[in-house]
This record gives sequence, C-alpha cells and structure tokens, in this order.
Amino acid sequence: MAQRSTSLRCRLPVRLVVLAVLVAAGPALGAPFRSGVLEPPRPAPDFTLRTPAGAEFRLARHRGDVVALTFGYTFCPDVCPTTLAELTQVRARLGAAARRLHVVFITVDPERDTPERVRAYTRAFDATVIGLLGTAEELARVRKAYGVTAQKRVVPGTSAAYLVDHSAFVYIIDPEGRLRLMFPFGTSIDDMTHDIELLLRR
Amino acid sequence: MRTIALALSLAALAALVVTRSPAPAAAQAASAIRLENPWARRAPAQGGHGGANGAAYVTIRNDGVEGDALVAAASDAAARVELHETVKDGDVMKMRPLPKLGIAARDRVEMKPGGHHIMLLGLKRDLKPGDRVTLTLTFDKAGPMSVEAPVR
Repeated sequence: MAQRSTSLRCRLPVRLVVLAVLVAAGPALGAPFRSGVLEPPRPAPDFTLRTPAGAEFRLARHRGDVVALTFGYTFCPDVCPTTLAELTQVRARLGAAARRLHVVFITVDPERDTPERVRAYTRAFDATVIGLLGTAEELARVRKAYGVTAQKRVVPGTSAAYLVDHSAFVYIIDPEGRLRLMFPFGTSIDDMTHDIELLLRR
Repeated sequence: MRTIALALSLAALAALVVTRSPAPAAAQAASAIRLENPWARRAPAQGGHGGANGAAYVTIRNDGVEGDALVAAASDAAARVELHETVKDGDVMKMRPLPKLGIAARDRVEMKPGGHHIMLLGLKRDLKPGDRVTLTLTFDKAGPMSVEAPVR
C-alpha cells in the first residue's frame, strides 16, 4: 500500500505551496516517492558487521549507491524470504542500474544463524544479497540505531524451538548516505522499484 | 402434434435434469474442497539436518453447503508441517501456530505471504525454483487431499 510522503501531510497553506512548487517544477522534480518517506532525511547510522566469508561490511563505504537494509533470521519461513524474494525482483526490474543497489540481510538471531546458514539462505534468492553477522551486542546496537525490535519467543503449539518477532521494514539508504525511505511489509514491487529508481537517478 | 412432442421431450429433459442433479451433488459432498494456486517459497535445506524451514501457500475453496476445516498437513519435503499465521502487531510481524483453519460453506481462504501459511519444518531437500513439493492437507470432513506445489 502506498503511503503518502509526510512532507505533504502538513497544514493546508504549506501544502498548497508545496503543491505549487511541485507543479511549477513539473517533470524536473520527477514523480514523488510512493512509499514511506522520511522527512527530513537523516544520516543513516553507520555500522560495521561481517559477511559470512568474514569480510568487513561498513555501511559508509557504500556512498553513491542505494542500500536496502532488511533484518531477519534464517529460520523465518514467511516474512523474511518474501522480503528478500521481492527485493530480488526489484533488482531484476532495475536492469543494469541494479549494480548500484545493495540488498543487505542482517540477522536478528546470532544464536542460531551461523555464517554457513546465512550464506545458504541469502544465496537461495540472489548471489548478490549480502548477509551480515556480528556479536549479539553489535547486532543489538544496529537494531537500536534503526529502531528495529526483535523479540525471541518460545511459542506453544509449534515444534520450532523459538521464533523471533521482528520489525519487517526495508530501510532504504540513499546515495548521499541518508536514511530516506522505509518500506512497510507488503509494499508492491512496482512502488519499491519506482522509488529506488528515483534515488538512483539523482 | 409437433408442439406436444417438443413439450414432452422438454419435460423429459427437465425430469432428467431434476433426477440427475442430486447424484452429482451427493458425490461432491465428500470433495467440496478445491485446492487452488499452490506454491512453495524457495528455501535452502541447510545441509538437510532438519534445521531449515520453508513455507507453502494454497487457496482453499469450499463449494459445499457445509463448513469444513483444515486440521493437519504433511509434505514429502519436510520432517514436520504446521499451519501458521503471521500477524502484524504494530510494526512487528509475529507468527503463531493455528490448530486448524476453518473454511465456511461457499467460501475461500487464500493463504499468502504475511498471512496464513503452511510451515515446512526441517526441510529434507533444497526447494529451488522449478522443483515441486507434494502437500497433503487433511480436512475434517473432506479427508486427506494431495496437491503438487511448484517452488517459486
């Protein structure tokens, strides 16, 4: 479901001015974003985590490109794979521009997610998906910086040892290193592709 | 004369339709459930040691006049199969197991990502696009029904 940019959700006179500017600017500004825009954009909290191969991944090194951050765990059968599969489809639609979109999967379950598991999980979707691991403390810091909740829960009635309830947003970091968009679960592939294309064009 | 013959044959036809109709209806009572659009999400088996999960989705249509319920599920691709539901609680997505899934008479339930799903626990093999998994869904009234779900 497309959400209105918060910049348009203001008092009427301001809204009229914004609209007037948009209309005047016309195609130069392009179409506005279709999904959860953060206004004003703020610098994306930097972090360093490790890939399954042990390489360091530092967010700030990816300026100039768009980074799509997701949080999940490899035992998750429904929400996490759906998000990764959809982002894989977004990459396919972007064509050559997909080189500048990095899809990142950060585990919220360091107890069970080994590097091998994370590697196999991300590769099931697309070899370009970057799985990231760290210590429980490092991962908790990243979650806190992005406002992600992750709660381990033992659930009666299932043979799964435990499940992890977690936020299911996709956090989009623009080429200037700013946290710009948050896609809620269920955002259409069309809308995600549209918004990421806008960021890559700038 | 012709009109009478036509009327008679129409009446015969009508009688035929009337007498025929209860038979298929009775035969259908046991199989009023239709399984549509089954598919499973790609997932790695993580070495096949029972530590990986997957999900499958199917739309269940109940053409019958009585409600039914999905009460159990099994698959050739997983050690255990459970029925789960993902629910949104604020910004957080939570999964919970469902003991059964009811389908009212002349109704349908569409499983989909972020909603009802069939959880495949302990994958026995990688689920890769193009593969197929067999799902056996057992209904309270309709009994067990199998369906082949392509992996996407």
